[in-house]
Amino acid sequence: MIKFQINGRDVSVDADPDTPLLWAIRDEVGLTGTKFGCGIGMCGACTVHVGGRATRSCITPLSDVAGTSVTTIEGLDEQSNHPVQEAWRNLRVPQCGYCQSGQIMQAAALLQDIPDPTDDDIDAVMTGNLCRCMTYPRIRQAVREAATAMTGAQDNG
Amino acid sequence: MGNKLLSRLTNSAKPVDLSRRGFLVSMTAAGVAFGFPRASLAAMDPAAADGIPVAPTGETFEPSLWYWIDSEGKVNVNIIRAEMGQHVGTAIARILADELEVAWENVNITHVDTAEKWGLMVTGGSWSVWQSWPVYRQAGAAGRVALIEAAAEKWGVDPSTCTAREGTITDGTNSITYAELVSDGLTRSFTEDELKALPLKPHSELRLVGKDVTALDIGTKTNGQAIYGLDAKIDGMVYGVPLLPPTRLGSSVTSVDDSAAKDVKGYLQTLTLNDPSGTVPGWVVVLGETLMAAKWASQAISVEWDAGETAGVSEADINARSRELIGDASAGAILHTETPDTTSAFDGAANVIEAEYTTQTVLHFQLEPVNATAFQNQDGIWEIHTGNQWQSLILPTLSSALDTPADKIVMRTYMLGGGFGRRLNGDYTVPAALASKAIGGKPVKLVFFREDDAQFDSPRSPSVQKLRMAFDVNQQVVGMEHHAAAGWPTGVVVPSFMPKGVNGEPYDPFAIDGADHWYSVGAHQVRAISNDLANQTFRPGWLRSVGPGWTNFAVESFMDEAAHQIKTDPLEFRLQHLKAQGYNAGSAPNAVGGASRQANVLQKVAEMSGYGSTDLPADTAIGIATTFGQSRSMPTWTAGAVKLHIDRKTGEIDVQKMWLAFDCGTVVDPDSARAQCEGAALWGLSMALYEGTLIKDGNVADRNLGTYTPLRMIDTPDMEIAFVDSTEVPVGLGEPGTTVIAPAIANAIYSAVGVRMRQLPIRPDDILSAING
Amino acid sequence: MLKKIFLGAIALGVIGALGFGVYAYKSPIDPITADQRDEFDPDTVEKGRILAAAGYCATCHTAADGPAYAGNYAMDTGFGIIYSTNLTPDVETGIGSYSPAAFRRAMHEGVDREGRHLFPAFPYDHFTKMTDEDVDAIYAYIMTEVEPVKTVQKENKLPFPLDQRFLQAGWKLLFADFGRYEPDTAHSDAWNRGAYLAEGLTHCGACHTPRNLLGAEKQSQQYAGAEIDRWSAPALTAANASAVPWTAAEFKTYLIEGTTTYHGVAAGPMGPVVHEGVRELPQSDMDALAIYLADKVGAADDDPARSDVVLTSLQRNQPDPQYRRDLGERLYATACASCHYNAEQIRQGRPDLGINSATNMEEPNNLIHVILDGVNGPEGISGVVMPGFRGALNNNEITAIAAYLRSNRAGKPDWPNLADTVADIRVNGPTAH
Ligand code: FES
Ligand code: FES
Repeated sequence: MIKFQINGRDVSVDADPDTPLLWAIRDEVGLTGTKFGCGIGMCGACTVHVGGRATRSCITPLSDVAGTSVTTIEGLDEQSNHPVQEAWRNLRVPQCGYCQSGQIMQAAALLQDIPDPTDDDIDAVMTGNLCRCMTYPRIRQAVREAATAMTGAQDNG
Repeated sequence: MGNKLLSRLTNSAKPVDLSRRGFLVSMTAAGVAFGFPRASLAAMDPAAADGIPVAPTGETFEPSLWYWIDSEGKVNVNIIRAEMGQHVGTAIARILADELEVAWENVNITHVDTAEKWGLMVTGGSWSVWQSWPVYRQAGAAGRVALIEAAAEKWGVDPSTCTAREGTITDGTNSITYAELVSDGLTRSFTEDELKALPLKPHSELRLVGKDVTALDIGTKTNGQAIYGLDAKIDGMVYGVPLLPPTRLGSSVTSVDDSAAKDVKGYLQTLTLNDPSGTVPGWVVVLGETLMAAKWASQAISVEWDAGETAGVSEADINARSRELIGDASAGAILHTETPDTTSAFDGAANVIEAEYTTQTVLHFQLEPVNATAFQNQDGIWEIHTGNQWQSLILPTLSSALDTPADKIVMRTYMLGGGFGRRLNGDYTVPAALASKAIGGKPVKLVFFREDDAQFDSPRSPSVQKLRMAFDVNQQVVGMEHHAAAGWPTGVVVPSFMPKGVNGEPYDPFAIDGADHWYSVGAHQVRAISNDLANQTFRPGWLRSVGPGWTNFAVESFMDEAAHQIKTDPLEFRLQHLKAQGYNAGSAPNAVGGASRQANVLQKVAEMSGYGSTDLPADTAIGIATTFGQSRSMPTWTAGAVKLHIDRKTGEIDVQKMWLAFDCGTVVDPDSARAQCEGAALWGLSMALYEGTLIKDGNVADRNLGTYTPLRMIDTPDMEIAFVDSTEVPVGLGEPGTTVIAPAIANAIYSAVGVRMRQLPIRPDDILSAING
Repeated sequence: MLKKIFLGAIALGVIGALGFGVYAYKSPIDPITADQRDEFDPDTVEKGRILAAAGYCATCHTAADGPAYAGNYAMDTGFGIIYSTNLTPDVETGIGSYSPAAFRRAMHEGVDREGRHLFPAFPYDHFTKMTDEDVDAIYAYIMTEVEPVKTVQKENKLPFPLDQRFLQAGWKLLFADFGRYEPDTAHSDAWNRGAYLAEGLTHCGACHTPRNLLGAEKQSQQYAGAEIDRWSAPALTAANASAVPWTAAEFKTYLIEGTTTYHGVAAGPMGPVVHEGVRELPQSDMDALAIYLADKVGAADDDPARSDVVLTSLQRNQPDPQYRRDLGERLYATACASCHYNAEQIRQGRPDLGINSATNMEEPNNLIHVILDGVNGPEGISGVVMPGFRGALNNNEITAIAAYLRSNRAGKPDWPNLADTVADIRVNGPTAH
């Protein structure tokens, strides 16, 4: 039994401790918003937050997250209205959508660390996330838009 | 591809015949798909978190099988196309809603199952909008007319005094909503002739087509609720992973030893598949209670195979075979160009140029690896849950694999985590079905890890093309030949769908489209050659734009070479030959204007990019290319320009900007159209510079991102995309953008540093060695 | 932690057998029963809990998945495997029969209640510096708070003659320097407090001081850095290879949070030192340790944020559109940069690999370990995980990433034999955290 928090709720997962967190989340916890692309940490489709930091769950063994708190796309915002999600919808970023959970989780983490990113900053961080539909121009734009929304919100409040 | 082929693919005389089923205007309950204990399993609403389609409230009016309206005024549009990023349901529903005159907020979509009533189900070839346009317009108009007539009758007025807007009908005095009319109940049927006479709205009155509306699948694609094949969940399912044989075909299992897997907790059993359909010969599937149990067990299992004949085949072998076939004048099919006999043109030529172009094998690498969940439900129906682009193609194969009539098999199509043509070939559903059958129909979810997905891909075939051009004494072009050899996707998967050339030989249009260009070049011979060695070694696939991805690289590079040969500017040279005469004049409905529209987009992109400007920095240039997207039968007039800089010391390419111009007729969904073109152009860039694997030992050499290196964000240049305003028939946009980038890059490299790159992908080392002679 | 320490061996010929026999003999101390044990006041027990944590008693005396303090933790000493003993107050199999005097003798002299010499895997050569009062507090804690557990002690796997305990006495004679900590009046009280802790209780030298062939710390090279479990314990002297000098403030953050902005995270053997150990100490002690260590390293007090080395590293971490030219750079850009990239300043939690200790040290070991097996939840920054690439990248790919970081990011000379070290650590390095 490995215990951790997922989207604010306590879970204990009875699976082999070597099971990649990705499959534990998808098949044991039953949240399928986190996707599988490469299984080797090179596409970012499986990105979740562990302890608030973007983490590729396909190469993270379940045992490593014991006692931590994990956030998936389903828990990023209760109403799915995280500014990153809003920007994504406004700009209609997704095509097939399969990479987008990972993109959004990565982008949300990016904006936490670098609230006002330049294009280079966005390139550096988001290049690890593959989008086979090549929605990159819109992702770039949406990250900028979300940044503006988030820093604006801070300024006002 | 000619209309003839298309009609064969669609099993009908004309694509619009899809409509025959569509116009029994009557009042019926919403059709529930057959054989399913739970209707929710039959279909999929991409806007719903659980995927369950919207249910009607109260009475429904179902003017055709394409949609219903309920007594609350909700409209549900049935979509037979797969959703893989094109927002296809939104585009099609909008066509219908516009004619029907309902508010967009009331429109829902349902991606249907494979019940026979839906007819042919295929999503590819950039056909969806083009084919749906006439059908769904008429379906919408039929509903509108029926509702108006019902209202007019109620009020005792002439229907022509009534108008419908946003689900409400008025005659100036009275007004009534569709919801009320449906609640009252209505029946109306149309004869075939009446249907044809239905008034369609003029372009100027279109309120949804061509306007930005929110795609219905976007919401669930930003919060993790969209449901893809990999997310399928069936009570009691077990997981399977494949152990792939050494060759795609012809291998057989000689022994399986799973003793070392017995210790893996959750390991269930190992199946050696018996496949009457011949789709997956030599396959072993390992089952586990969890996916990782199956995976870990599979790593402990040793299987021995008798390898098929192609176990040693390399890409060089395949290319050598292509060259051999090109050298054999009797090989292949000669297309129906205007003057396919080029003998005298070349015999009498004052000057002939010739060049060979090659392209490497390319993987689909759609981000969701292929997978399928299969089981037999309580009614004895086999259910296949997966993302798929061509259900009608794989159902007969599944029928033979399962030894079950096709009407006892149904597929539920989930969202596709990328299609790009990979999922046109539904071969991956077969081992899932066979594994389930082997355990008595219990649900099996077969998951391909990325490496398996790559090895089992239907990659874009490597190609070799030889082009020749004949000039007369005045430097005028008098003849052209294009000989293209590659593996043929249609040839191996649906050979019966291949049309015949002038010499009576069948050919795969998807492997040659693009070579039959719209330039007037005098005698023009296009010869399509099937590479048998490629076809035996792997399953050649339809990969985003298929043949036009390599034929246009050759044609448009060669046009540049020809222009330089006679010292004419490449833009000028192209325009001189896009004359829109004879065979290239175009015809209604799909190719009105012919080559003149291609010349128009070419000029447009030249202006946008500033092509020809002389003040570019050293070793920097803009290259251009123009194509007609997919095929002569539904040309999407396309032009592209790429600005790049070459580092002479390293050969490195800095792609600075790309411009594209399209004339695709009516733009139905502007935002998605743009998105498709962005994605397609970047695919073009990726395949031009970054993608390409090699066949090695009978399989693709690259299996994952450690070595396969598709375009990523940092590789994404600025882009400018323009559409020509048009009210012509809307043609496809999923693929055309891919076709112009590689030649534009090759042409730019030539202008920048004077070396001609004739192989894809173009790598810095190749440029460097070309520069260094 | 002390996953693999040394085992004292002895060159018999060095010592006169007779004198040695006299020296080696230690008399047993009478056992006590549970009833004879004193009651301890809660403050002492709490103090003992903190000290026991900061001395990592439980780390070495708890087997994987075993009950706390019940021993049987395997230590591969390089000379053989020894199993730690049961420290619970169980009378038969633990230390329940130890009187305070017996416990003190064990801590200060490395001799058990029966008079047998303990292997120096138990760092009595450090604990000998601790005050009686501190040792007694640990005793009070163990006897009061630790659940007694009955165990079967596993047999050590040592070759003859190393398994002969009396020979340990010779080792002590040669290498151990018994006696309580003596303050150095040239330094402040805080410094002395730090030295007292570091040299005694927290026994930093056990990992950071190189050992001689017989496994004893070379006193002349105190804190010069050493290898442990194929990890490198960096030098805590002026020879420390950090790109950005340590400061007292960085040491303190590191020891409390397991990470610093300019050096990296506490992973591998250092993980439990922070997370199960020293961070329990009061703030004043953390300050004292930081002051002492900073002095040892010879740290300055400047804020490194705008230093040349940091700015250069940030410059080098800018994305390079030609990242594909080098395998290591390409893999880094796709697999690593999303977490390690920094914009205008280095942010704690996004370790900058140009200045990170792992890329600047003379040995590539720590970097390789972390690429292979990552950093789990309890290590490094608590609750944060770096995934490992053991199953994702092959040796060639890991070598390429390490080589890229070393030359292009840290700007240091190539590591010799990098590929071999990667292969060795993959196969022989401990995989468990
Ligand atoms: S699936 Fe985890 S990074 Fe690709
Ligand atoms: S939207 Fe399809 S992979 Fe990114």
